[in-house]
Amino acid sequence: MTELSRAQIRDLMGQVLENQGKVLPDDDAADLREIGFRSLDFSELALRVEDETGEELNFDAAGLRRITSVGDVLDFLAELQRQ
Amino acid sequence: MSVDTARPAVPHPAGADNRVVVDGVTLSWRDLPELTLLAPAVLLAQHARDALAAARHHAVHGTELLLTTASRVDAALREELSAAGFTVTDAAGRGLAPARPRAPEAGRLWLLTSGTTGRPKRVGHTLESLTTVRGQQPGRTWLCPYAPGSYAWWQVVTLSLTQPGQHLVVVEPDQLDDWPALAAAHGVDAASGTPTFWRRALHRDPAALARVPLRQLTLGGEPVDQAILDRLRQVFPTTRISWIYASSEVGAAIVVHDGRAGFPAAWLDRAAPGRPTLGVRDGELIVTSPYHGAGLAGPVRTGDRAQVVGDRVLITGRLDSDEINVGGSKVSAGGVRDVLTAHPRVAWARVGARRAPLLGHLVVAEVVAAQDLDEAALVRWCADRLPEYAVPRRIRVLTEIPVKETLKSDV
Repeated sequence: MTELSRAQIRDLMGQVLENQGKVLPDDDAADLREIGFRSLDFSELALRVEDETGEELNFDAAGLRRITSVGDVLDFLAELQRQ
Repeated sequence: MSVDTARPAVPHPAGADNRVVVDGVTLSWRDLPELTLLAPAVLLAQHARDALAAARHHAVHGTELLLTTASRVDAALREELSAAGFTVTDAAGRGLAPARPRAPEAGRLWLLTSGTTGRPKRVGHTLESLTTVRGQQPGRTWLCPYAPGSYAWWQVVTLSLTQPGQHLVVVEPDQLDDWPALAAAHGVDAASGTPTFWRRALHRDPAALARVPLRQLTLGGEPVDQAILDRLRQVFPTTRISWIYASSEVGAAIVVHDGRAGFPAAWLDRAAPGRPTLGVRDGELIVTSPYHGAGLAGPVRTGDRAQVVGDRVLITGRLDSDEINVGGSKVSAGGVRDVLTAHPRVAWARVGARRAPLLGHLVVAEVVAAQDLDEAALVRWCADRLPEYAVPRRIRVLTEIPVKETLKSDV
């Protein structure tokens, strides 16, 4: 399985926002609500990761956690690939 | 199946002298080979010529017949048909004898439904119930691109068999990509096809399509949106463009000639002798038709989604596959498809659901672009016209419009 790096996931996140006419800030601490990254965008990002790796992500295996920042999204998806 | 080229002594149907072009050869219904079919018969036609010969055989002799292609009948269905008393014969002459022989039902024709909800099932008709064009028609040379034995195929075939002056040019599967050249060479001036069929022709070579001297152009078999009607109107400014709603179960139920998608809402619940009555119940099109299949009298739930929009009733797709649930919000895949195909650079689109975290599903799409097109621009086009949850989140660009034997993309 091809595993995407955190930087590669960040690129994909940038593409998701770009399609919405928005910009992904460089700061990982940026608040998702402030940049307008919502559940639809998160779901799309997950599909993009799946398309790149050719593997379905197993969200059932992921523990519940609070995701509020860009860094939280990147950490979560990076970890999920390994489960 | 055995072939006997001797002409039958019994009378031929009224259209027997109409011209039939098959495999590039021009002949008439009368010239087709005489088949020997053991009734009740299933003929798995490999070539259009065999299928036409079987249709004429039925018209002359009334042989109980199910006509289809080999690809639609798997081993299990062959056994099922044999158990139902049919002799199943393929084009190579291999036969499967009836497991339980029975007396044939004279005049009975069987069609297989398109099988959108699983295995194909048999619907009983007669030549009479399949012949929906009865009034005197202007002379036409019709294109027949449909798979033998489908409802649409019988519509064109019965017209040519029963009415003098209605000629036929048959398109074999390997001629589908270049049918406009064949049609132009043989003077085709009337053609019926699915929206996918027309989109492929527009996409592949619009100049070749424009050279076909069409006076009648018909669409059916799939939802017909305004974009395809408008594009065909650009190519054929003076042609009569119609769309038809028909199925094996309810027959030809709706015919619209005004160049607009959908049908007038004023037609709903209007009963008239000899005409189908149309209704919408819980978002589903309901048809009560005099042209229904055997055993389907009364209101028939079509399984097609219908919605009243202004003064029109739009048919957007199959109920069981049209609705996508995105985090509790309901999306019509057909509605999204119509937005995509309305984009001037989109030649074809298919919309579906993809499993996604948090929301259950997301809307995704495949498109074929007529010109260069980037995904972001298409997403913005949709975002300007659809609720946020209905905007396709993944759009895959294909190079060719996919088509199946039914001439449809999805079935």
